Amino acid sequence: MDEVAVEYIRRTVLKIPRDEIMAVLQKWGFLSEAQLQTINFRQTKESISHSVAQLCEESSAGIKQAALLDIIYNHIYPNKRVWSVYHMNKTGKASFFSFSTQVTINFREYEDNAIWIRIAWGTPYTKPNQYKTSYVVYHSQTPYVFISASTLRSNLPLLCQAMVVASNYHNIREMELRSHCLNSLKDIVFKRYSQNFQTNYPLQERNVLTENEDLRINDENRSEKERIHRLNQECFGDGPQPKLDFAQYKLETMFKSDPKWDVLEKKEPFRCLVKFSSPHLLESLKSLAPAGLADAPLSPLLTCIPQKARNYFKIREKSSLHPGSFVSP
Amino acid sequence: MEEGRNSDEKKTALCGRSLTAASQDGGGRMSAVPLAQGKVEGGKVYSGDGVLGYLEMLEAQAHELGLKQEEKEQQEKKLNRLKAKVQELRTRRDELRAKVELQEKRLLDKEGVVTDPARPSAQTVLEWKVKSIKAMLQVFYLTGISGKLTKQGICFCISTAYEGTYLDSYYVDLLIKPEVKIQRHSVPIFIPLEQIAKKYLQTDIRRFLSVLSDHLNAYVGRRHQADQLEEHFSDRIEGTLQRNSLCNLLVFNYTVSSDSKTFPFNVRLLYRDLCCSLPTEAIISCTPGTLSLLAKVAAAHSNTFRQMALHKAFDSIINAKESQD
Repeated sequence: MDEVAVEYIRRTVLKIPRDEIMAVLQKWGFLSEAQLQTINFRQTKESISHSVAQLCEESSAGIKQAALLDIIYNHIYPNKRVWSVYHMNKTGKASFFSFSTQVTINFREYEDNAIWIRIAWGTPYTKPNQYKTSYVVYHSQTPYVFISASTLRSNLPLLCQAMVVASNYHNIREMELRSHCLNSLKDIVFKRYSQNFQTNYPLQERNVLTENEDLRINDENRSEKERIHRLNQECFGDGPQPKLDFAQYKLETMFKSDPKWDVLEKKEPFRCLVKFSSPHLLESLKSLAPAGLADAPLSPLLTCIPQKARNYFKIREKSSLHPGSFVSP
Repeated sequence: MEEGRNSDEKKTALCGRSLTAASQDGGGRMSAVPLAQGKVEGGKVYSGDGVLGYLEMLEAQAHELGLKQEEKEQQEKKLNRLKAKVQELRTRRDELRAKVELQEKRLLDKEGVVTDPARPSAQTVLEWKVKSIKAMLQVFYLTGISGKLTKQGICFCISTAYEGTYLDSYYVDLLIKPEVKIQRHSVPIFIPLEQIAKKYLQTDIRRFLSVLSDHLNAYVGRRHQADQLEEHFSDRIEGTLQRNSLCNLLVFNYTVSSDSKTFPFNVRLLYRDLCCSLPTEAIISCTPGTLSLLAKVAAAHSNTFRQMALHKAFDSIINAKESQD
């Protein structure tokens, strides 16, 4: 068991950028300062990891310490995983099913009221595989859970069930919100990002675009620029946007074209998937209109992303008299 | 001009190099062909050391001079602009001074009507009106609940404060038709907004706002007290202050000294009333066995925590201890 733990620690250390290994090990606190001083951090990462493994073996590190290091690593670098948001509520009846499997579970509480739960999955017959982990982040007194499942998605129902029971709710459902940036997901569902509300006070000073003080240049489009700026402010607000990787729109609408073109013989919804990807989706959407790449105001389908707390959309035809499209809840 | 030429010639002597150019012949091979006897000088290439080279040099010099002149012009322009601005500010300052003197004079004159030596222009009247409206809006904001009509309803702003310090503002954007509904808001998720809205939003908006404001102010007050405790007394607290999202459960440890011995105390503050910023319970525990000795002290501390703001309570506890020792 110890060899597994030590090897796991070694591989975790390999994932850390070399300049930050010392800081992470200090946070971990398992190896003493004296022991850390003996490591030469100028070697290659491979050698550093072996030094650390050696020290851990001497100090009899176990699975618990290895798991703790993994939690700390994932807390410092959460953006290496994809996180989904789940919403819990108390409507409906609580239902349970029984399932048994072997797991390793570790908890760690952080100052921002976040509880990090690490689960290493096994099967009813095998010991937990420390390399197949899921992470759950939960903030007290909130109905949201942030889950980063590993490859074993079959364990998700069990995980969700456990969360519901532990937090005293009845139901859990997956929200259509996914991203690499955990903090941005938190910002969106906890409403910590800057929304633009209309107020009388504090007075919203008109942001006169004064980049070019040169009096020789006349801005012919000044009023248009200011209009775009104002509309953008109303949609996106002033502050930094939450960081999302993509927005996906699944269209199931009828293809609207000139009848004489008659693309589709059958009157069937045209299935189409549109995906916007970006290192920072919302900031790039915010800069579309000022850059002249899109008309302001932008489509509400794009600007409603943080407010609706979703980046997966299904767009279907409105089934009433008014033709148009509506977004499914 | 003469000097320049001499120095150029010196440079030419020191670092002359001939230029070659590569040209492609029909077969696509590159061969080196001397283009001309030229010189490389100070990063600038002169393609001949005859008339052409001299002309190029002159051209370059003229270009440089042109740039310098442009720069100079720009600086002059900037200077003029600043001078104009200074002038403007000076006149404005004079105007304001005149106004202030006028006001003072008015205050001193208790009888009779003083004819204004400077009749306020329409501009200044307008400015005063705008200023007074802005002040009025600020007053509304300072009351804690203010709102602005929007196209579809009203956007309320709840500005929270605790003991004179203004803290965060929270917004609730309401739709009015067909029924009163919250369109969007910036209320933190752990405030029971949905419950409050369910109870009061349809029937009594004032009550809804009042209850929501109580919750928010209490939350912000508790959070402020916890922050103040951490900021000012982190050295007197063992470990860190633990709190939950609503800041209605706070736990921390500190030491009490009595008879030259130190005892660790653990305090657990429960704020069961979410609209209240003082704890309903303050449970103090010590290491088992010592409670009997310190029961009085613990009870006194518990009372203090329940009656005063957290950071002030802690301050008085520490100072009381120090005056005892």
